[in-house]
Amino acid sequence: MSLSAHNLSLSLSGTPLLNAIDLDVLPGKISTVLGPNGAGKTSLLRVLVGELAPDTGSVTLNGRALQECPAIQRARTLAVLPQHSLLNFPFTAAEVVMLGRTPHATGIAHDREVVAQALQAVDGDYLANRIYTQLSGGEKQRVHLARVLAQIWESSPDGERYLVLDEPTSSFDLAHQHLTLEVVRSLADKGVGVLMVIHDLNLAARCSDQMFLMQCGNMVISGTPQEVLQRETISRVFQVDASIGVHPLSGTPLVIT
Amino acid sequence: MAPNRLLLILGCALLPLVLIALMMGPVFISPASLLHALLQALGGTGEGRVTSQDGLILFSIRFPRVLLAGLVGVCLAVCGTAMQGLFRNPLADPSLIGVSSGASAGASLMIVLGGGALLEGGQFAGLSVVALGAFAGGFLAVILVYRLATSSTGTSVATMLLAGIAISALAGALNSLLSFVADDEMLRRISLWQMGSLDAANWPRVWIAAAAVAVVMLLLPREGAALNAFLLGESEARHLGIAVDAVKRRLILMTAMAIGISVAVAGTISFVGLIVPHIIRLLIGPDHRYLIPASALAGAMLLIVADAFARVVVAPAELPAGILTALLGTPFFLSLLAQKRRVGEG
Repeated sequence: MSLSAHNLSLSLSGTPLLNAIDLDVLPGKISTVLGPNGAGKTSLLRVLVGELAPDTGSVTLNGRALQECPAIQRARTLAVLPQHSLLNFPFTAAEVVMLGRTPHATGIAHDREVVAQALQAVDGDYLANRIYTQLSGGEKQRVHLARVLAQIWESSPDGERYLVLDEPTSSFDLAHQHLTLEVVRSLADKGVGVLMVIHDLNLAARCSDQMFLMQCGNMVISGTPQEVLQRETISRVFQVDASIGVHPLSGTPLVIT
Repeated sequence: MAPNRLLLILGCALLPLVLIALMMGPVFISPASLLHALLQALGGTGEGRVTSQDGLILFSIRFPRVLLAGLVGVCLAVCGTAMQGLFRNPLADPSLIGVSSGASAGASLMIVLGGGALLEGGQFAGLSVVALGAFAGGFLAVILVYRLATSSTGTSVATMLLAGIAISALAGALNSLLSFVADDEMLRRISLWQMGSLDAANWPRVWIAAAAVAVVMLLLPREGAALNAFLLGESEARHLGIAVDAVKRRLILMTAMAIGISVAVAGTISFVGLIVPHIIRLLIGPDHRYLIPASALAGAMLLIVADAFARVVVAPAELPAGILTALLGTPFFLSLLAQKRRVGEG
């Protein structure tokens, strides 16, 4: 059981964006996609969640072709946090999180409970009755994080659950960056497969079980943080000189530039 | 305000409002006389059960008119709600997808082509030829807009917006052309028709509008959860398990049908579809599960009140109701905006 890409290729109006990508997101593991701007990270995510159809190759969700999964089943097992949200209607934060319960039919009382727990998980209980459109950028992003958490909060009879996040930490301060990673880790511990696009190599090194490093639509290397974050690889892909140290507390690689 | 409370208030206010509207008009009908006629109608049997002059006025003129106003108000407000949700834009209204301008062009075409004879004589199921032309024109415009925005990859809301503007412009040009060739009498008919009025109300029109309302109020509330998810964006709605393209198709078809019919029976009454959902959203927030029924009630009430005033302010003549919806709704809306409980409303 996994969320898997098999030999994905994609080009948009003649420009190749993805080239023969293979990737597995495993339940209970945190995988991160890294790479410089324009490497194809977001395109890969969009194909993986079914927003774009690949030219060749396929995506499978728990062994089933993604396009053949009924919409509700897919929504109960795969949640997606986009980088930006278009929402500009004055829902309360709790109402926004409640939208994550749309594919579920578990009853309003239970849904409210899940919403409260999800908001609490992102340090957002105090936001519950605030108007979404009045929140700061970071608060909005946390509300949406709580929304996707609420969507896959409990194990589903439809199969293993997956969470895909596009740069979830980009608008967060330091404390909330780490909070996000903790949330994602505890989710993985409950058996959810997580895939994140992340720019901060050190943040990625601390939380990843599996790393995918991309450049110009190709998968350069995949493996554990120790395997991926090598000096030559970093300088080749990101065009910067870096030294690799060891994080004094976690023992994970530390990229110093 | 709690959504359920607003629904309760609106629901309770509707019946008294209908009764007051029934009394108002060039001939004032006293409450006692209204009660008498109603009891007579309920309790009476056979022919000629209502004989008084007031009773005749009530049952052949006032009732159809007040009911039609309410039904058309429901159509306009509810479809406005659906369009604002679909386009994720609180400024959207049904005219955005070409239905109003298409209907205007259709009506003008019938007025100019048909001339006098057809206008007086041509009736079909209680609808004049002009009304049928309006329905056909409005429906055709929406289908065209929808077709233009739909490709193998689905329906693009952004393209639909642009196609709506284009088709509206085209219909507007056709309308201007028809006004240009029309004679003075036709010109007056065209411009009066475009202001919207309920003075042609009769029972067949009430039944047609009631059928449209029944369909819309049966089907649209089921899309409440989908419309809520739509506000997040289409991809997000899809990730939440909503069959986005099917929902879009249903919303567009429902709007084309309901607005087409309401335009056919009452002309283009602007403003209700835009402002009513807006007012309700300021009061109870954007949750469509409450927004749709509350807008339906408020839309009915606004148009009933506007039409009652339209009958009395310049009696025995009449103002087009479309003018009054704007005159009555705007101050209320502006005062709400000034208080603006939920700031940040786009």
